[in-house]
Amino acid sequence: MDDQTTGMQNLDALPVRLPNATQGKPYSHASMRLPKTEGCEFTLSGHEDAGLSALLTECEDCYELTIEGTPAEPGDYAIVLQCKPAGWQEGDPLAEKRMLLMVNPNPRLLWRDIPTPENVPFYKPDRDNGAIAADGGKRVIAASQRGRSHAQEGKPRDDHFQLYHNPDSGWYVLAVADGAGSAIYSRRGSEIACHEAVAYCKSRLTDAAEFEGAIAAYQCTDDEQAARKAVGNHIYSIVGNAAYRAHRAITDEAQVVESSKPKDFATTLLLAICKKFEFGWFIASFWVGDGAMCIYDREAHSVSLLGIPDEGEFSGQTRFLTMPEIFADTASLYRRLRFGIRPDFTALMLMTDGVSDPMFGTEANLNNPDKWDQMWDRLQSGYPEDGIGGVDLDSPRAEEQLLDWLGFWRPGEHDDRTIAILY
Amino acid sequence: MRRLPVYLLLDTSGSMFGEPIEAVKNGVQVLVSTLRSDPYALETAYLSVITFNSTAQQITPLTELASFQMPNIEASGCTALGEALWVLSDCVKREVVKTTPEVKGDWKPLVFIMTDGVPTDDIKPGLDAFRQCKFGMVVACAAGRDADTNVLKQITECVVSLDTADSATIKSFFKWVSASVSAGSMKVEETGREMGGISELPPPPPEVNIVV
Repeated sequence: MDDQTTGMQNLDALPVRLPNATQGKPYSHASMRLPKTEGCEFTLSGHEDAGLSALLTECEDCYELTIEGTPAEPGDYAIVLQCKPAGWQEGDPLAEKRMLLMVNPNPRLLWRDIPTPENVPFYKPDRDNGAIAADGGKRVIAASQRGRSHAQEGKPRDDHFQLYHNPDSGWYVLAVADGAGSAIYSRRGSEIACHEAVAYCKSRLTDAAEFEGAIAAYQCTDDEQAARKAVGNHIYSIVGNAAYRAHRAITDEAQVVESSKPKDFATTLLLAICKKFEFGWFIASFWVGDGAMCIYDREAHSVSLLGIPDEGEFSGQTRFLTMPEIFADTASLYRRLRFGIRPDFTALMLMTDGVSDPMFGTEANLNNPDKWDQMWDRLQSGYPEDGIGGVDLDSPRAEEQLLDWLGFWRPGEHDDRTIAILY
Repeated sequence: MRRLPVYLLLDTSGSMFGEPIEAVKNGVQVLVSTLRSDPYALETAYLSVITFNSTAQQITPLTELASFQMPNIEASGCTALGEALWVLSDCVKREVVKTTPEVKGDWKPLVFIMTDGVPTDDIKPGLDAFRQCKFGMVVACAAGRDADTNVLKQITECVVSLDTADSATIKSFFKWVSASVSAGSMKVEETGREMGGISELPPPPPEVNIVV
């Protein structure tokens, strides 16, 4: 048996497999080694349909076949390698090897962006952003974007945010909320939560001389415990009450909306108030549910989470503002409140789990300053490899850039994304 | 990234020779092609194939859908279902990432078992190992009249049967499997939870009967 017949007869039995290609991604596969036989002529067909080219290079003892290019369309392509032996004539049999080349769709092109019908109850725009100008102090930017899993089905954004600043009093109020995916009116729940909580804080902070006096006393006191308790009482009364008012407003809404229950409006709430004093920044907060809220200090390489994310053993088992047990007693509400004074910081950040999950994944990572450094860097550099621009924090368009940045790609992470940053 | 592992346990015993095995091969191909056009599944679903005849072997390790290639499947020999369960639990222990403080682990695996006969080995050791692993959803399919649904009921509550093991019926089973995997990968993405029971699966086609 000579070489020629070996190559011919065994062509179909050659253990040749083409690795799968992906639409729009350069493909090159060169490991196909074909037996070298005198006068044998190889031809390849079918690869052009996939937008690829074929190259046959002669090596010492074999031919090497390379298939390369960038496939434009997904699909299953039949690629046929044929061999004409020496002296072949029209009508003679051909040795043949049929191969399957699978071209995967580019997953990013499979995601559709179907606008939410404007006639759905409690419609809200699919994207939103907002900002508070620096005003000599710090600046606030916020953005909220519907997740790809919602966009895929034309479903509304369930997240919400609201910002407030009074240049006269100097107080800032930031709220971010994530409506539960399983609750039908959660988009309304998150909206009410933000509106009510911010409105209540606003009303209490317009003239807050007594509260501010307690903060000043806390800052310079010898009897820290007593002064801390005094501030804590104010926080309970202002921030705690703001959360409770939001809870109540949702309960009221559930009574108005036909055949609905408060849990149909289930939402998380992350709420922060802050103001700069001559001795530093005072920050207080309330947090129920997942997501993340922290004070990030780049220079000190530190991150202080303003609470403990409510996550069960399995992701998705979070607590909601709408649950009565959150406000069942003073202690359970109190443990969701935080306050403190800091000389300065890089940023106060509030975000829903649509941002914190892909960025951090676990609670251990949320407490790791290195991970926050990475996020802060990525926020500004963007993801050029994916065509996602960064945020120029000094730009007057920073909040628009933030909204675009929220479109970053992470496989399996397509929840609504909302973030508010004070810096 | 949290992967959604999907294990296919396929009976490749001698009784599957001919039309049934060709239908299974075709079915896996349909499954993969369908899932590749679903953005949820394409990003999160990982597929492994374990075949069992006189022995059981993992012929495709857990592979992302985009890289999955159809393995060579041939029918011969007996029906070592017990060993297949043992191999499955071994693969799950090795391949499925557990949650740690730093990393969120994979979702609990989905398992689809298809057999046309009665196990020829002692399934107890395999069943014990299988019960020590956590699974999201296990569906066992009795293909044709010779399959023993009582044995499958020991493995999972979700047992379905096919009246015949012809190509049209097997194909519709695999279409239902792919719809189930699609639904499962969408559910973990949207709600952060795995599927809980057969009621959460898409309704099966008429050829696929739920065994109560």
